[in-house]
Amino acid sequence: MMRTLWRASWRWVLIVGLLWTGVSPASAQTSNVAEQVEALRIHLLTAQLQPDEATANLSRAAQIYQTALEESIAAAAPDVNAHILGAFDDARKALEAGNMVAYAAARAQIWTGLLHAAYRMATEAVDAGDKATAQQWLPVREFRHATRFSHPRADATLAIVRLGEGGMDAASVRQAVDADLLDAYQARLREALTALTAAEAQAHSVRRAELAGLAAGYFAILTPAFAKAKGEVAAEETAALFAKLLAAARNGESIQAFTPLVEKALENFQAAPLTPAEQARRAAQMVRFLALVPVEYRRGVRNGEVTVDLEIREAITFLEGAQAAFNDLSADLAALNADLTMQAHKGFEHLHAQLTAAAMRQAVAEPDAIQQAVDRLDADLRTLLPPAWQKQDSQADFDMIQAALDQMERAVAAGDYRAAASAHLDAYALLESGPEARLLAFAPQYIIPLEDLFWYGQGEHPGLAHLLERQASLQEIRATRSALDALLAEAQDALSGQSSPLAVALNASIIVFREGLEAVVILAALMASMVGQRRIYRRPMAWGVAAALVASALTWWLLQTVLAAFRGYGERLEAIVSLVAIGVLLLITNWFFHRVYWTDWMADLHARKRSLLGGAVAGQFLGFLTLGFSSVYREGFETVLFLQALVLEAGAWTVLQGVALGMIGVLGVGWLTFRLQSRLPYKRMLVVTGVLIGAVLLVMVGNTVHVMQLVGWMPLHPIQGVTLPYWSGLWFGLYPTWEGVGLQFAAAAFVIGSYFLAEAGRKRAVAGGNPRASGSGAPHQASRPVSGNP
Amino acid sequence: MQRIFAFVMAALLLVAGCQAATSPSAEAPGRSAVETVDLSEIKRYLQANVQALEEAASALAAASDRYYALASEANFDYAALWQRRSAEAVEALMAARTAWMTASPLYEKVEGIVAGTPALATFDVILDAGASGEEDPENAAPIDLTLPDGRILPRPGNLFGVTESTLWGTDPDYVLADVTADWDGDGALGFGEVAPDANVLKGGADALYQYVVELSQAVEAWEPTTAEAFTALIVMTPTMSEYFASWRDSRFVAREASTQRDFVAISRLADIQDILGGLEVVYAQVRPLAETANPEQAAQIAAGLSALKSFVADIYAQEQAGRRYTPEEADILGAEAQNRATAITGQISQIAAELGIELVE
Repeated sequence: MMRTLWRASWRWVLIVGLLWTGVSPASAQTSNVAEQVEALRIHLLTAQLQPDEATANLSRAAQIYQTALEESIAAAAPDVNAHILGAFDDARKALEAGNMVAYAAARAQIWTGLLHAAYRMATEAVDAGDKATAQQWLPVREFRHATRFSHPRADATLAIVRLGEGGMDAASVRQAVDADLLDAYQARLREALTALTAAEAQAHSVRRAELAGLAAGYFAILTPAFAKAKGEVAAEETAALFAKLLAAARNGESIQAFTPLVEKALENFQAAPLTPAEQARRAAQMVRFLALVPVEYRRGVRNGEVTVDLEIREAITFLEGAQAAFNDLSADLAALNADLTMQAHKGFEHLHAQLTAAAMRQAVAEPDAIQQAVDRLDADLRTLLPPAWQKQDSQADFDMIQAALDQMERAVAAGDYRAAASAHLDAYALLESGPEARLLAFAPQYIIPLEDLFWYGQGEHPGLAHLLERQASLQEIRATRSALDALLAEAQDALSGQSSPLAVALNASIIVFREGLEAVVILAALMASMVGQRRIYRRPMAWGVAAALVASALTWWLLQTVLAAFRGYGERLEAIVSLVAIGVLLLITNWFFHRVYWTDWMADLHARKRSLLGGAVAGQFLGFLTLGFSSVYREGFETVLFLQALVLEAGAWTVLQGVALGMIGVLGVGWLTFRLQSRLPYKRMLVVTGVLIGAVLLVMVGNTVHVMQLVGWMPLHPIQGVTLPYWSGLWFGLYPTWEGVGLQFAAAAFVIGSYFLAEAGRKRAVAGGNPRASGSGAPHQASRPVSGNP
Repeated sequence: MQRIFAFVMAALLLVAGCQAATSPSAEAPGRSAVETVDLSEIKRYLQANVQALEEAASALAAASDRYYALASEANFDYAALWQRRSAEAVEALMAARTAWMTASPLYEKVEGIVAGTPALATFDVILDAGASGEEDPENAAPIDLTLPDGRILPRPGNLFGVTESTLWGTDPDYVLADVTADWDGDGALGFGEVAPDANVLKGGADALYQYVVELSQAVEAWEPTTAEAFTALIVMTPTMSEYFASWRDSRFVAREASTQRDFVAISRLADIQDILGGLEVVYAQVRPLAETANPEQAAQIAAGLSALKSFVADIYAQEQAGRRYTPEEADILGAEAQNRATAITGQISQIAAELGIELVE
């Protein structure tokens, strides 16, 4: 019995094993699909390259199709299967007739038929949520031809990986797959048509037939998208054109009559749907590249002559970049307003013709004429573009920064370091007026490393400004550029997805709060100490603050118009204003600790010479007015830049809400400072005021040294082995350089030294019998004013 | 009211302060890919071939020096030189050609890595890929060539190109056109029988050696990363199109109709195989990593690279055996090579994306 059971069990094992290993035709057909298709393709090619073995190779190719692929394709896409079988038949007949021209066309039709089938299999599997089948068939595809500079996309692959993983539903995955594959096949179609023209010119009949077969095959894949964009009738007519093109090429005839018609039919056709984000990005690229065209042109033309070829080439590069973005959007734009789209198209063509004529020195337009042409085109585009596409796009900002850095490298390669420095400044200005505001709030740890690489950093990679100044080699500049690109990519990633209105408002509030904190602490502290006779100095400070706010608003307006070209000089302006603020603050600090002297001097002079007293008071008025102005305006310029960028991104109302919140915080700190000091005993209040002034002075000195090192007005020597967290610089002006720390120590020594000098002077005066040198600071008040009454 | 102010201020301070606490690492941001793959073999391959290249470049410089000395002794009267001391001149030039033909393939073996690695790519532009300022001002090799006689050749192009065109006479500016240099004494002037300008040859050979030495030093200092390895593969694999175009336009296909000054000594097909060989070395090192993402595709990539190299090798073998391809055949073969290369590049790109590897631009 045991033996019977043993044999029975083995019998079942055998049966199951046979069932298991007897792989069904369907599963046999779908395993290693990409390998089977590649093997088939190689046989088809070998048949063409080795005519002696052509028939055998074609047979092998046909066998692979029949055994491994036909059943699946016939089930899912019977029309495509029929087409492939028809092409195999054409190939066989061509070989029998020894007609390699016809064979090349048939081979191309088989191949594009397989691509078409794979596209249908993959997308239908995606629609059905069948990830495994989609992953089996997706590798049977082509990519845009890769070059050293453009790499294949992985969007479809990654999207299918995420299918059903809660993050991407089938519709989103399908959109990503369509965008990737249809874009690749449209690019291939364009390349095939271009190569077809060359093959026609060279009378390469075999190659011409192959390319015609490929072009017709790619169009077959794109036909549904074409029909959706242009209508069924247009799709049928264009398909008929491709059929005639193919027939002519297959017969060894000229295709000259057909290619212009095909090109015309394909005008403004965009197969791959652009996502809303891609539409906004291209719109932003188009507008911003266009804005740079007259800037570059103006730099290269003087008195009707081209003086710098490089600038004209850059102008053309930016115009072509804008035009490429416009072409990508033109189908969508034409659907909105066909006439205006055509007008914009003509505007681009006209500009291109003007710039080309200048580059060839045939006709050099005046810069103003180019500016006017750009302004007209810009106006048309802004009318045409939907509002959603005109929002500030940070991703486009990073594209623009890269474009400017590319321009810098090209200039260095040509040995034009002046132009390279200009492009470098443009790149930094784009960073400062665009992403830096958001980095400040959401990823501040990138700011300092980015600034170092852009300017005078002396770390692993010297800063670009430093390298350009000493006319470093292209290799060195590219090494720093490479590090900068990596960092910009990380910063870009860090910022992606941070554009919600709440995030932008919070961003604005934090910027206003942080930038305003220094100024408000010092102003509130000083105002609190101005009691009695010195109360009058509150007014000039308030006037100074008011003037700074007006100046900041004026700066906002000017940046929108005249000063746009000067954005790159933000750091320099900040450095100058900061130096003024420090100078005035040092004077005020000095005055503060010598108040007795000043008070006594004023009292004596007041009794005798009003003019002298008037002069001294006027000087102090001017000092406090300047302090009020410089304390606020030194931050005003950069704050205005950052807020502008946010307004463009999220709208004025969102930003204003953030500004209001930030201002509440700033004023709250100021009020608290004022109130707390007011409650203190007078002398202690003065001490606190002095400490606050000293602390703000230290932060101001640290930040000003940092800015001056950025712009190269001060040398930079890092303190080796010392690494500080990014927030030490951001909040406290503390950067690990000998110059920064050293000058902060010097400032502290000055402040403390001033106090002790003043105290020593007072004690000497007291010892010398001057009752007024008592250190009271309020000569008509022997004691602290009533609490709550400043 | 005071409490409201205090609350708002505290909230703002808290939010602002949270940036320090919760922001991503406060340390300077850097590369995020964890380097777990052993890439040392890439560096060893590079070092070995660059060292051999340095020796060949030195030999080229030495042979150029001998020719220069002969020309100098003749007071740069090349007609007199070729009349009286042609045998010595030919010996020196043949030695220079031999050294060049040793050096060039050695560079091609590493070109895929050098050109595809941003940190080293400038050497490729200077040594092998850069155009002349006349051909392409924007992408010209960023060097001027100072010759022993004080002349400066502004942006003459890549140094292998300068020396090749001087040795084989494909650039008329680098040879003495009015000098009859019958190398083999058969009474006829065949291709390459020219009197090279000794100053250009020495200047070019010395500069070539100098930059090879610098490349060697840069390689010593370089530590390959996974990102750089994938970048080299993705950047260099699809260059088949331009290489096949060079082959189609060279004397090996276009014959006398060719106006190309480069790729006259060695068929570009040989160069392509050497480049692909270097890329195979790179891929072999990252293949274990690729297999963690997609084992099938990783295997297909290896098979694809090998098949592409075999495809090119087969064409080259036929060429060496005497087959002359027409320009149309060169176009068809080039398109096939480009399609295969793009497919391989596409597969590598997918793997890189799945692994989250950022290319080094």
